[in-house]
Amino acid sequence: MEREATGIAVGAAGVTAVLEISGLCKAFGGIVVADSISLSLRAGEVTGLIGPNGAGKTSLFNLVTGVVRADAGRIVMGATRIDTLPMSERARLGVARTWQHARSFPSLTVLDNLLLGARGYPGDSLLRSLLQGRVVRRMEDEAEGRAMALLERVRLAHKARDLASDLSYGQQKLLGIARALMSEGACLLLDEPMAAVEGRTYAIMRSVIEEEAGQGQAVCIVEHNVGFIRDICSRGVFMATGRVLADGPVEALMRDKALTDLYFGAAV
Amino acid sequence: MQYLVTIGILAELSALLAVSLNLVLGYGGLLSVAHPIFYGLGAYGSALLAMHAGVPVPVAVGLAALGCAAASVPLAMASLRVSGDYFVIVSMGFQLGVLQIINNIEITGATGGLSGIPTFASGPDRSLIALGVLGVAVVAVVWLVRAVVQSPFGRALTAMRNDEEALAALGRDPVRMKMAVFALSAGIAGMAGGLYAHVFQFLSPTQFGLETSTALLTMVVVGGTATIYGPLVGAVLITAVPQAIQFLRLPPGVSSPLQGIIFSVLVLGFLFLRPQGLMGGRRGGGGLDRWSGRRPGLPSGRRA
Repeated sequence: MEREATGIAVGAAGVTAVLEISGLCKAFGGIVVADSISLSLRAGEVTGLIGPNGAGKTSLFNLVTGVVRADAGRIVMGATRIDTLPMSERARLGVARTWQHARSFPSLTVLDNLLLGARGYPGDSLLRSLLQGRVVRRMEDEAEGRAMALLERVRLAHKARDLASDLSYGQQKLLGIARALMSEGACLLLDEPMAAVEGRTYAIMRSVIEEEAGQGQAVCIVEHNVGFIRDICSRGVFMATGRVLADGPVEALMRDKALTDLYFGAAV
Repeated sequence: MQYLVTIGILAELSALLAVSLNLVLGYGGLLSVAHPIFYGLGAYGSALLAMHAGVPVPVAVGLAALGCAAASVPLAMASLRVSGDYFVIVSMGFQLGVLQIINNIEITGATGGLSGIPTFASGPDRSLIALGVLGVAVVAVVWLVRAVVQSPFGRALTAMRNDEEALAALGRDPVRMKMAVFALSAGIAGMAGGLYAHVFQFLSPTQFGLETSTALLTMVVVGGTATIYGPLVGAVLITAVPQAIQFLRLPPGVSSPLQGIIFSVLVLGFLFLRPQGLMGGRRGGGGLDRWSGRRPGLPSGRRA
């Protein structure tokens, strides 16, 4: 399937590199969170980022989305080098993410949370927001249609008019992924989508991620739930102390004793 | 009668300032105390344009408003680098710095003040005309702020107050939004300053210092941050209180500190006991009241 919004033609899964990271380095004082990381995320592929706490998994997301700037290295999205751009521009070029703690906007309704993620948001300009009433109305109506469809997918449509602060934790995580999908990006970074999530929410989250990958989205997941990684990820990337130690099929990583020892702690 | 009209004019000017400050402080969550300096720049700018360049009064007021919008750029830039308590200090520095310039150059009349400013209406009814003109300005500004807050821009502003980083990760640009909201807010304050100058025809730098900052802050907090009509109510109330004190006929040694004490008690009392202010509460902290009335409010003034 083709995703016109990003201009990237998607063929078989795992062929087209959507996001290309090369030689990425970052240190906070003496703490190295990224030590020459090279990684490419491919269209239609679900990549699991695993490793012990402090391995630099979330830091990698922060570097890619622009929360922090890299010391060295390159990040290329499609054909554009993004590592020097501010966060908002990277997002507009198609890097979407969720946060471990959801970070929904509590003062706004669930629907408003989603509308803010719309590509070409009419409120980006104060003057346009005020003066082009009809254009803005039309854009908002269209975005609202897409937002409601996404809320249906995560089973939150009945909560659309509620304040985001009234949602349960699991619902906030679903709101987070729905909000990230509003931008129709080509690359979806999920930070512990399954942490403290279970039952129905788990099932909904899983099916949404699978659907997105099926439509050619390059998905990368930081997750400690090994069962989930095994279920959903076609590829695993093992990180520790800011470095990529292994990159391959999840089953192969799980069988590697050196890695499982690193992850779970070796028996002495 | 003349006395009441003057109080009405002062209340209207306060309303213009409080409503515009609320854009930055309440909706934007940017703790600036420097608002009175834009009021002052607008007042001096408009007065000097009319006095020395022969610009007609309404044009001078308009130019002063635009000038203040531009003058807000340095402050907005500062807000991109520091936030919260630190920004309070930066904004105070900005305000006092500009005030020192006004205090020390000749063209503004320095500490002695500026007099001989052309009036915008003459004749025996000029106070009533001023009251009417300012009334129209208040209605227009409230309408404008309401439109901004209920627009998609206002929604993004509320989100920015909740979580700036999460908003930027969605592709919205907080830099651009802060510049815009500061410019609009300062522009309104500048217009209010211009109107003030031509109504009262005399300016003194002391009117644009920290005392005015605290009075404006009190109006917004008491009325309700991030509410449309709260600052309006706060402005009327806080303008009326000092006048009411005068009727108590207390000795000056008691009455002059009393005003400061009352403001302090009001701010502290409201922050502790009713942080959403008089008009908040339906859905506090929420910029959009599109769905208002449906939800009992969550505590307002919350800044995540």
